[in-house]
Amino acid sequence: MSSDADALERHIGHDEFDPVGTLALIGIYFLILLLMWLFMYFVEFLGNDLTVVGMI
Amino acid sequence: MSAYIDQFPEEAKVIRSAFYASFFALALGAAFGLIQTLHRTDFVRIIPAEMYYTVLTAHGVLMVVTFTIFFLVAIFTWAVTTSLDRGVEDIRFTWSWYGLMTLGTAFAAIAILAGFTDRTEISADVLFTFYAPLQAHPMFYVGLVLFVIGTWLAGADWFRSWWAWKQENPDKRIPLPTFMVLTTMIMWYLATLGVATSIIAFLLPWSLGLIDTVNPTLTRTLFWFWGHPVVYFWLMPAYMMWYIMLPKFSGGRLFSDPLARVVFVLFLLLSTPVGIHHQYLDPGIAEGFKFIAMTNTMFLLLPSLLTAFTVVASMEHGARQRGGEGYFGWLGALPWRDPVFTGMALAGLMFAAGGFSGMINAGMNINYLVHNSLWVPGHFHLTVGTAVALTFMAVSYYFIPQVTGRRLASKQIALVQVVMWFVGMTFMSNAMHRGGLLGMPRRTAEPEYAGFQFETAIGTVGELNAQIALGGVLLTLSTLLFIVNMSITALNDRDDDLPSNTIPEPLSGPNEAPLVLDNLKLWTAIAVVLVIFAYSLPLASIVERGGLFGPGGDAFPMFLELADSFGFALVGETLSAMVSSLLETLRTVV
Ligand code: HEM
Ligand SMILES: [Cu+2]
Repeated sequence: MSSDADALERHIGHDEFDPVGTLALIGIYFLILLLMWLFMYFVEFLGNDLTVVGMI
Repeated sequence: MSAYIDQFPEEAKVIRSAFYASFFALALGAAFGLIQTLHRTDFVRIIPAEMYYTVLTAHGVLMVVTFTIFFLVAIFTWAVTTSLDRGVEDIRFTWSWYGLMTLGTAFAAIAILAGFTDRTEISADVLFTFYAPLQAHPMFYVGLVLFVIGTWLAGADWFRSWWAWKQENPDKRIPLPTFMVLTTMIMWYLATLGVATSIIAFLLPWSLGLIDTVNPTLTRTLFWFWGHPVVYFWLMPAYMMWYIMLPKFSGGRLFSDPLARVVFVLFLLLSTPVGIHHQYLDPGIAEGFKFIAMTNTMFLLLPSLLTAFTVVASMEHGARQRGGEGYFGWLGALPWRDPVFTGMALAGLMFAAGGFSGMINAGMNINYLVHNSLWVPGHFHLTVGTAVALTFMAVSYYFIPQVTGRRLASKQIALVQVVMWFVGMTFMSNAMHRGGLLGMPRRTAEPEYAGFQFETAIGTVGELNAQIALGGVLLTLSTLLFIVNMSITALNDRDDDLPSNTIPEPLSGPNEAPLVLDNLKLWTAIAVVLVIFAYSLPLASIVERGGLFGPGGDAFPMFLELADSFGFALVGETLSAMVSSLLETLRTVV
């Protein structure tokens, strides 16, 4: 496998590294999560009959 | 600086053998996977419906016990020897746990596969969860016990290496890969107590005819005591690969060693006291206990989210060192032509998707919507079936050359293989999730019913089935490509310029990690206390209500006469007399 240190263009140390791309991706993940919760609430939860927990 | 086989030729042999055992299980498991996929969806039915459960048991056990665990003992041995830079203490001991695991597998597999023929009474159509009253031939349980003992000894082997290393390096931090192995194994020791008790105290004596009945709620609960942490036993090796191999292959360095340690400690603490979340719908366990399990489960999301952050940040670091720019542009700078990298990255992406459905499963109330439906296999084919399985296949393209010294047969086919798995799983898993929402049951050979149609909001049942079948076929083809590529590699000629077997240093190293993180005794103690909190009351109330050996009922099928004919009966009577007098004593004491 080729991708060890040979293909590197520059070296970035701990302090110069600012993981904004990671932030962006994780932001998208949480956005999807939020939308899916909304979707679930309206379609799956309100759209189905009540689920009984405990005593009737 | 040399390949693993040159550094540790003896260890390389054991590791190789463990890889081969794991690939063999994967190949068989995939064949069964294809049969059941096509059967369920009514495209090809080559087996009678009753045989479906033999197939499904074989698929489940071979995939999630044999394939995954043989693979992980291989990479754990690699991780400990590489990171401590020392061979195992006694290679005969290493071979002996490998031998025990193999023997155990052979026992369990023979018992399961015997279900295909009428020539013998032996069978083990109990699925990988072996819930009572489903009963397997004693050979199945004995096989599982031997296998688990094998893994215990493997753990002892790694601990032994670490102790020996510590004598010589008293002031050094535990190297991260070894730290990961040790925390995982402590979790495993704790977790396997559940399944070992369930089998040795109840299910095995019951299938031998030594006791008449078991308490199904108790054995189920003991099963899940182990059944949840076992998912971390599969995942933590995959995480280990993401933490130490993914940065290597993306041209960067692990973002943070301390954070990685925190994650593994959290898994050790939280993996076990959550098993009851698999039993939200079990009667006989109070809602309050289920609620506690749910709360612990939600905490368990934390280490996975921390992993997402650390791993993605490490890839980003690699991409930026390779010249990547922008918020998303860096993604293009990653080495997508490398099957090791791409396989792992796609596995991680699928795991993120598995996180969505996992959060649904984890909620007590929402779980009711999906419980025992096809949604659940949809979920875990994303997690163990892809996040773990695809990561394992991807890193094999690195490891097999390392431990055989042979040239990888084809990097192009490897790349096609990992992408094909991803595409196949996208079809199969997505359609399974949707099918589950319509109420399609899992573990059902022929889920079509006279005078009843599943109602679909979008698409049709035919379209869902077609996607499941298409996905299953792609996955099987992908497995075939993998097996062929690996086999040719194992027989290929020597590769004299293999990359050297190194693990890059993290950006923020172990010296920034608080010392307390390496205090394994402390974490073990806390883990035990948490388990006692989570389980003592539920177990006590289950035993109080149903008794240790349950309220009665018949096993299915019965192996009693069979056991008699083996001459177990006499031993049986003596043993059961001993057990009941022991229980009497206990009762008087308590
Ligand atoms: C060739 C690829 C695969 C195919 C076609 C496949 C197909 C299937 C199907 C259709 C089911 C559901 C059967 C039912 O509930 O009626 C299933 C169940 C299952 N699969 Fe797979 N699968 C594959 C790979 C894997 C992998 C890689 C793993 C884990 C490492 C795995 C683990 C399981 C487990 C644990 C079950 C549940 C068994 C049970 O309900 O007892 N599968 N598989
Ligand atoms: Cu679980």
